[in-house]
Amino acid sequence: MQATPIRADWPAIRAADAFRIAMPRTPIGGRSGERLGSGTGSSLEFQDYRTYAPGDDLRHVDWAAYARSDVLNIRLYREEVAPRLDLVLDVSRSMVVTDDKARGYGALAGLLACACARTGADVRIITSPANAPRPLTRPEDIEQLLVCDAAASAIEAAHLPLRRRSLRVVVSDFLFPHDPDALTNRLARDGAWLALIQLTLRDEAEPDVTSGTHLIDVEGNGELDMVLDDRAIRDYRARFSRLRSGLSTGARRIGARFAYVPADRSVRDMGRALAAAGVLESA
Amino acid sequence: MTFATPLGLIALAAIPAIVAIHFFRRRFPPRTIAGLFLWQTGRHLPEGGGRIDKLPITMSLLLECLAALALSLILAGARLSSASDARHLVVLLDDSASMAARSAGGDRPRDRGVRRVLSEIDRLESTGRVTLIVSGERPAVIAGPGVLPAAARSALERWQPRATHHALELGLRLARELAGRSGRLMIVSDTTPAGRGEAEVPGALWVAAGQPLTNVGIIAAERTIVPEQGRGSVVLTLGNYSDAAQTRRLRIVAGDKEVSSTQVSAPPGVSTLKLPLAAGLPTVRVGLEDDALVRDNEVVLVEPRPNLVAVENRLPEGRGHDALNRAIAALSNVTRSESGHLQFLPAESLETPPPPGVWRAAFGRPPARLVGNGTLQDFIGPFVLEKRHPLLSGVTLAGVVWAGALPLASSAGRSIVSVGDRPMLTELPGSADAPTVLFNLDLERTNLIRAPDWPILVSNLVELRRQGLPGPERWNYRIGEWIRIRLGREPKAPLRMRIGELERTLPPGRTIELVAPASGGLLEILEGQERLFEIGVNFLDEAESDLRAGAAGVSGAFVDTAAGTRGESGPWSDPLFWILLTTAAAAILTNWCVPAVERRIA
Repeated sequence: MQATPIRADWPAIRAADAFRIAMPRTPIGGRSGERLGSGTGSSLEFQDYRTYAPGDDLRHVDWAAYARSDVLNIRLYREEVAPRLDLVLDVSRSMVVTDDKARGYGALAGLLACACARTGADVRIITSPANAPRPLTRPEDIEQLLVCDAAASAIEAAHLPLRRRSLRVVVSDFLFPHDPDALTNRLARDGAWLALIQLTLRDEAEPDVTSGTHLIDVEGNGELDMVLDDRAIRDYRARFSRLRSGLSTGARRIGARFAYVPADRSVRDMGRALAAAGVLESA
Repeated sequence: MTFATPLGLIALAAIPAIVAIHFFRRRFPPRTIAGLFLWQTGRHLPEGGGRIDKLPITMSLLLECLAALALSLILAGARLSSASDARHLVVLLDDSASMAARSAGGDRPRDRGVRRVLSEIDRLESTGRVTLIVSGERPAVIAGPGVLPAAARSALERWQPRATHHALELGLRLARELAGRSGRLMIVSDTTPAGRGEAEVPGALWVAAGQPLTNVGIIAAERTIVPEQGRGSVVLTLGNYSDAAQTRRLRIVAGDKEVSSTQVSAPPGVSTLKLPLAAGLPTVRVGLEDDALVRDNEVVLVEPRPNLVAVENRLPEGRGHDALNRAIAALSNVTRSESGHLQFLPAESLETPPPPGVWRAAFGRPPARLVGNGTLQDFIGPFVLEKRHPLLSGVTLAGVVWAGALPLASSAGRSIVSVGDRPMLTELPGSADAPTVLFNLDLERTNLIRAPDWPILVSNLVELRRQGLPGPERWNYRIGEWIRIRLGREPKAPLRMRIGELERTLPPGRTIELVAPASGGLLEILEGQERLFEIGVNFLDEAESDLRAGAAGVSGAFVDTAAGTRGESGPWSDPLFWILLTTAAAAILTNWCVPAVERRIA
């Protein structure tokens, strides 16, 4: 467990930096940019016709159609926008419960920061429901925000400073009691797109049978003496599986993406896993 | 290690109890996780009770057992070695001044004795007990009873012998009482028991730390004055305790001024030296130059102020009158006065009440109220004398014809001299401040006035009266002598005495009585802030000045007993108590803190 910012392995991240955030197929909002927006703009992609009205740009009059129908119609094109992207990072102590998990979290956050930069989006980082989101200008700046000393995840909060019509990427281990449907609905509300990324250790997902263990919750939610026998492990795996499938189902139900990333994988493998889940796409 | 309360060892049962608790308690290795809620189910532990596992030897188990052990030992009163039955060494230190005599090398019997005592103390265990007693007319405990060696060492360092010659018997008695049946008794002196005139002390170790030394000291001193001639003198008795004549420089200092400095030669043995001294000088210090014993080299002498007794002779002219005049004329410090301190008068005049403070000696036929039935008779003896009465000191009445004695009434007074049942010399009842003595005697017919007893009787009367006058009986005393000073009135302010650094309050009264302090020097009697009298108190001790009997050696031996004396202080006097207490406290605190730290680290 550490309270200092996580140090990401930037050489490894740069080596695997070949992704960007996968955009949804539906139009999205945002400032003028490079991605197709939901409104009418000046891109080259045709969108629709409408009847000419005084003041319309005569360059967009479809003269061929006027010759055929003697009606003045205007060709409408899609607008190009820079999407708003809210990257929600869980900075609770559970994200750094071991060094492996902290290292994996740093790699994942760095990879997502690079992907956000390649996307050309207006990226804001949210780590706390109380603090204002922080813009991400350089991928390396994300390190400063990865101080995992909170007693609870920001995702558990009833309200997060998410922007309307924003793309949302939520990174957490989701190891807190929750209702998956309610959680995904809350995170997706008024958003354009949502991706949930669950980062856990392999040992958290599939613990091994051991002898009696004094379990201590890293976020101070109690302690428990327990014999980790076959039955206990089986029960735990079942509950963890239900938690993950609940999140997956909840995300699928609202058209969001869900990706499970083991913390002890390499950055490249993490990128592939996220791409396979539709969270990232090749740049 | 011994135990004061062995029953406290029952508390050791706590150790197996702790082991049992650890044995049956599950204490799993800690593991920090995220998402404890995923583990929480209704069944935390396997059903059917705990498995019998190997006892986990944890830090907590060790610390708890250690704390229980330490606390149990405290309850059992554990002490190092034989602390509860500590050896008790009782040392009687000869406080006589000869213990301070310096040899040519500068070493003193006191120093050698102290070293020997310290070596005995060092042999004691750290919890041993020591009692130090200094001998004297009134022995005193200077350390103890039963103090730890450290306290005894500091008391030994402070001890400086200075007392006059005395027997060790009282100190020995006190030492034996304090030693009881278990303590070891040790006597430190500057000579052997035989050399000190003491019997061997069975069961005690006698350490003689002295050595024979030559010494010249002042063993008696007197300052006289002849007021009429305006001159005085200092008479010194010197003791030369060597085989050859010794020459010493003798200095007389009055205040800060040296009055005389002369070279005196003292032959072996005792010699007397008379030095003239002007009258009216203040207190003088007469000192010999230093030798083996410093204490006997100096005396403080106060100029005596003689109490003049005013005598009035009212006897009728005749043989008796003349004989009295002759006897008075032979006495010193007596003056004639018509209203004197002492009145000689015919017995018929006794009906007249005396003036205040006037003593009376009546001769002849007493008043009728004092006379019994019978006729005048003369007696040649045998005379029965009240020998304890100071008036009869030196009086024998041998060959005396006591003429004209009348029978006296039984209520006439206390008979001092009598023949058969007839009183010859009677102390009449009356005021204690102005007694009256009746000589039932016809001075004209008796031969008493020609007998040697006559001037003695008159002198005794005068001296008795002189003793009743205000002021000290003498002006220079030896250490330990009783000093009596008559004030002659009630004190107007609190009375105090001061001698050197010592100052103490005296009980109020018309008479001051005190023992000349052992420190010696100039004694001042103060009434409030007013100095009433100055008295010289001197160490004049022939026995202590004679250092030739000094000897070294050890005689006798300790009687070893199995048991020592019990420590009188509590268990905290034993270092083991504090070691155990610290261990227990440290173990409890560590057991409290370490698991929390381990948990945080994990």
